[in-house]
Amino acid sequence: MTYDPEIMKETPMRISRSNISTEINKTGSWRFVRPGYDEKTAPCSSACPVGEDIARIEMLVGQGMFPAAWETILRENPFPAVCGRVCFHPCERVCNRGRMDSPVGIHHLERFVGDLAIENAYAVPHPFYGDEAEADRRAIHGKKIAIAGAGPAGLSAAYFLTRLGHACDVFDADSEPGGVLRWGIPWYRLPEDALKAEISRIVDMGVNIYCRKPVTAEFLAGAAASYDAVFLGCGHGHSLQMGIPGGEKVQDGLRYLHDIRRGENTCSGGTAAVIGGGNTAVDVAQSLIRLGVDTVIVYRRRRRDMPAFDHEIRMALAEGIRLMELAAPVRIDNDGDRLTLTLQEMRITDMETAGGRCRVVPDGERTRILKVDQVYSAIGAEPSESWYRPPEQRPDVLRMSHCTLWAHPASGLPLVFGGDLTAPVRSVTDAVASGKQAAMMLDTLFREGKAGIPERIAQCRVGDGPALSMEIYLSGSRKSRNPAIVPYTAINTDYFTPADRAVPPTLSPLERRTAFEEVEGGYSPETAVREATRCFNCGICNDCDNCRLYCPEVAIYMDGTRCINLDYCKGCGICVVECPRNAMTLEEEQS
Amino acid sequence: MIRSPLPQTDYMTSGHVGCPGCGATVAMKFALRALGEKTMMVIPACCWAIIAGSHPQSSLKVPILHTAFATAGAAASGLRAALDMKGDTDTVVVAWAGDGGTFDIGFQALSGAVERNEDFIYVCYDNEAYMNTGVQRSSSTPFGTRTTTTPGSNWKQTRKKNIVEALAAHRIPYAATASIAFPEDMIRKFQRARMLKGGSRFIHVFATCPTGWRVPTDQCIKIARLAVQTRIFPLYEVTDGIHYTLNQDASPRPVRDYLQVQGRFSHLSEVDYDTIQGMVDEDWMLLKRKVGPWPSETDI
Amino acid sequence: MKEVVEGSHAVSEAVRLARVQVMSAYPITPQTHIVEALSEYCAQGRMAGRFICVESEHSAMAAVIGAASGGARTFTATSSHGLALMHELLHWASAARLPIVMAEVNRALGPGWNIWMDQTDSLAQRDTGWIQLYCEDGQEALDTTLLAFRLAESADLPVMVVLDAFFLSHTYEPVDIPDQATADRFLPAYRPRIQLDTREPCALSQMAPPGCYMEMRYDIQAGMRRVPDLYTTAENDFEDIFGRRYGMLEAYRCEDAEIILAMAGTAVSTSRQVVDDLRDRGEKVGLLKIRMFRPFPTDLLRRLVGNAQKIAVLDRNFCFGLGGIFAQEIRAALYHGERQPSVFSYISGLGGRDVTPEIIEEIYRRSKSADHPEIESVWVGLDPGICPV
Repeated sequence: MTYDPEIMKETPMRISRSNISTEINKTGSWRFVRPGYDEKTAPCSSACPVGEDIARIEMLVGQGMFPAAWETILRENPFPAVCGRVCFHPCERVCNRGRMDSPVGIHHLERFVGDLAIENAYAVPHPFYGDEAEADRRAIHGKKIAIAGAGPAGLSAAYFLTRLGHACDVFDADSEPGGVLRWGIPWYRLPEDALKAEISRIVDMGVNIYCRKPVTAEFLAGAAASYDAVFLGCGHGHSLQMGIPGGEKVQDGLRYLHDIRRGENTCSGGTAAVIGGGNTAVDVAQSLIRLGVDTVIVYRRRRRDMPAFDHEIRMALAEGIRLMELAAPVRIDNDGDRLTLTLQEMRITDMETAGGRCRVVPDGERTRILKVDQVYSAIGAEPSESWYRPPEQRPDVLRMSHCTLWAHPASGLPLVFGGDLTAPVRSVTDAVASGKQAAMMLDTLFREGKAGIPERIAQCRVGDGPALSMEIYLSGSRKSRNPAIVPYTAINTDYFTPADRAVPPTLSPLERRTAFEEVEGGYSPETAVREATRCFNCGICNDCDNCRLYCPEVAIYMDGTRCINLDYCKGCGICVVECPRNAMTLEEEQS
Repeated sequence: MIRSPLPQTDYMTSGHVGCPGCGATVAMKFALRALGEKTMMVIPACCWAIIAGSHPQSSLKVPILHTAFATAGAAASGLRAALDMKGDTDTVVVAWAGDGGTFDIGFQALSGAVERNEDFIYVCYDNEAYMNTGVQRSSSTPFGTRTTTTPGSNWKQTRKKNIVEALAAHRIPYAATASIAFPEDMIRKFQRARMLKGGSRFIHVFATCPTGWRVPTDQCIKIARLAVQTRIFPLYEVTDGIHYTLNQDASPRPVRDYLQVQGRFSHLSEVDYDTIQGMVDEDWMLLKRKVGPWPSETDI
Repeated sequence: MKEVVEGSHAVSEAVRLARVQVMSAYPITPQTHIVEALSEYCAQGRMAGRFICVESEHSAMAAVIGAASGGARTFTATSSHGLALMHELLHWASAARLPIVMAEVNRALGPGWNIWMDQTDSLAQRDTGWIQLYCEDGQEALDTTLLAFRLAESADLPVMVVLDAFFLSHTYEPVDIPDQATADRFLPAYRPRIQLDTREPCALSQMAPPGCYMEMRYDIQAGMRRVPDLYTTAENDFEDIFGRRYGMLEAYRCEDAEIILAMAGTAVSTSRQVVDDLRDRGEKVGLLKIRMFRPFPTDLLRRLVGNAQKIAVLDRNFCFGLGGIFAQEIRAALYHGERQPSVFSYISGLGGRDVTPEIIEEIYRRSKSADHPEIESVWVGLDPGICPV
């Protein structure tokens, strides 16, 4: 047999058959625009007074990564359980999701995460911001700071300063720490357990809190011997007086709230008028109605002008509290066991106040009479010591958005005024923001001197807002984020289907009036996950993988994170358009 | 939105010469992710005959048999027979043709093959004209389209051939539409087709052609999605030629949303939009009727 | 063992003995009997191959191209219009270097419809890169088909086995059909040089740009150049096993011939008788049987014509505007040879018309009496009274 296929096949045979891959073609040379990962800023986080990384928090909650979500909040705010309850959540007002159906329940989710952390005793992570240098900071830069006031501002300052490696002693005049959180906000909005848990977490970090120890002028004069700086966050503990005939018959609303929290008030039944339009007035009225007191809020302007947060007013009205608008008390008289309140009727004018509200003036001689058993005033408050106030604008005073820095005239000790003393909005979250800003200012002062403060603070802004990020301050990964705010039009809404916002269980108005039970319930884990996945995660990558999935060039690959192989990317831009959350950008190629 | 897990391994390589933003390459990427390495591609003349690579390159990590324009159905039949004779029943043979090679010149071989119920998957990646030769009309080109052979006021005045219905009429085990804008759905359909060994499976994939449709490259997926959202390209499956399943139910967007973003339709008037909307609605009703319940015996 | 079988079935038997794995064809008279028999063998279990009943010859060739690319031994059969429809894919098969074997039954092309013998269909495919082998009788059809697989698989080129319509395809003759074991000795299992494999993925028959196309074409010709040697080797083996051989060309009584008749197909048998008769009358005439048309065996032809002064070529085909195709090829082959006998070109027997001994003798006489060939081919047996306009 001479047939041997191998011999027969000795001739080379060139045919059209592949033996290499197309990877030899560097099609990246076709490109004239270049895609890139470009995380941007969500509108919510810019609107948040403490600049929480909300888009990321909701992403983590949506993925069921609750501890990581909590840690993310903790980078910017030591009080998730508290702020999840009491914050006026400006974040939700600007939520892009609201343009599609309704805003994400950001505050509910914050509370959910905060409560879960308390319930499961999550440990505070360390290091905290992914900053390797963080561990060394204490040894090198440790300073000692005295903090006046254990309210949200003071505790926040202590928390962040401790994080930055400084030692803090907090002094408070009252018997327990918490300030307004402890004494000013009723139980039905902020149960004591949540507050205590979040304060004790700060104490556990090594912060010393000294109660019944008000910071006095004498202490301040001698503080330079023991401390490197003082933070003054004493708040507005002293109610303003009515200054009308019979004003001494009026009870102090703040004091009343304080007494209730102390468990000292037993009054019940009868009728009451609460003078004022702020949150304190509403809180007083709601507390009264829970004790069986038929309550009316008397306000000299209209409801829409009330400084109290709208959702709290709505809740109060639902509970049966009446509101008397355009009525200003002019005198109070005894009428047996009761009081007669004479009210001047007011009318609105075309003019505006400095705050942008309508100016009201007496409507001729028209008055009204209101007969009640008690009158409470909540028309505003001021610092209980005049020297708590920061000095006016002077060359040696550095005023930032939430804090004012000044040196003690005698000792030269740096003093930072914060909290309600300086905050543009008197909210708990702004107080926390103030404490954070104070921590950044002092840390910068210690490291670089006073002159460096404005620029350093400016670098830490979240988006275009006043909110500051401690993660950015510490050069965490958030620092690389583009400050540009993601507009709704940049969201690829094809990836989101309309879904109702999850509403947590809430006590009915009738149930609310019987006790100081917490009005609003929390999300279940399932609800939290569902609600969190409604979040667009504006501007941040949530690993949806669309970019890699759709890339026609197979030019996006995983190397720990997603990378674009520019050897092959033709710059079609599909990845950028199909990113649901605007976490990528297409830029013209530089030739 | 978190995706359900999709197969992650790509059998397509970078450096291919598809136009930027080519929907047909995205289609291949998804198809091969679903089908895996035990796949052989039979590719007739079409854009993919170029994208798959000139000698000596290949852009796929699976074997490719390039074949003449009209022959995808027949060549795939032969390849299948060879594998069967060698005892390889695990490898799936896929004919991968454009609309020209499917709707037109290759239709005879396709019809012949599926009538024999050949054990393969036939995929038409449809970019609605002869794109490889420079945008000439095909019988897949929809009403209202301008191409280089239906230019100016002579834009195409006849409907797109309904290829899935034509295939369903052959009573093959599985026919489906799929879109590159719906990867989960598309990959599921390819996985299902792979499982359904033993007969002909046909998948009609909508593949945007930014070059021929005169749209920006980055709109590739968006337009494919719009086609589904406006119901001009509904997603559905047909088993055994008779059992229809719709894979979409959201309320539709008007077809004008789809038409007005594409250069190939830029000449259309409001009246034309209405005409096309009427066609889309009619096709949808027809489809809904087929999806409807099977008549009971008493109806016969 | 000899059996009396139809020429078509002689081919079918050879395909069965070759253990072809994939077949595909579309029926066309006069080829149909070949594939009917193959379908029957498959149905009976006499053959393990897969027969794909396609819807056209174009698809039939595409299907065997697909199967051959998958590494299977393949076969198809066609005729006339079927072959013309396949034309595109004939190029595809050869340039892909796929060893497909095809039986092609010579039949005229329409219009008008004509199902009878004519060589123009296969000769028109001469540039497609296929090896072409022409058969004279049933035994040769079987033997050539079996040989074709050996040749195709060693040359990596497709082979067309050509049979005359009816005169061969439908004629019953005694044919020695070997047993399977003997056939297997001659033709071992197919070991493909090219095939698709998921373990070593590659693209086949992909686009070939100007930078490589010419080289690929050159290698097809290099393959063609090897065919005579490969053919001879295969035929040596064939002769060892079966005791028969045919050659690429057969010279019959040509040794001292002054005039050699040349042709392919069944007309050779008739001519053999005419040559014998003429020899009996003292005419110095020989006969050249053309078996291999592609590649054209030029060297062998030059040697076999010896000292003949004239070659009279009978073409049952026609190239319009030029002449008989075999005549052209022979003339071209001899042009630069040592000797240049005159090549006389005759056309006869188109569309199934009988080529009678009288016609062959007339061709001989006309060639003998003329000093030089006519410029054009001479049509023999034309009847001016047929089909008046």
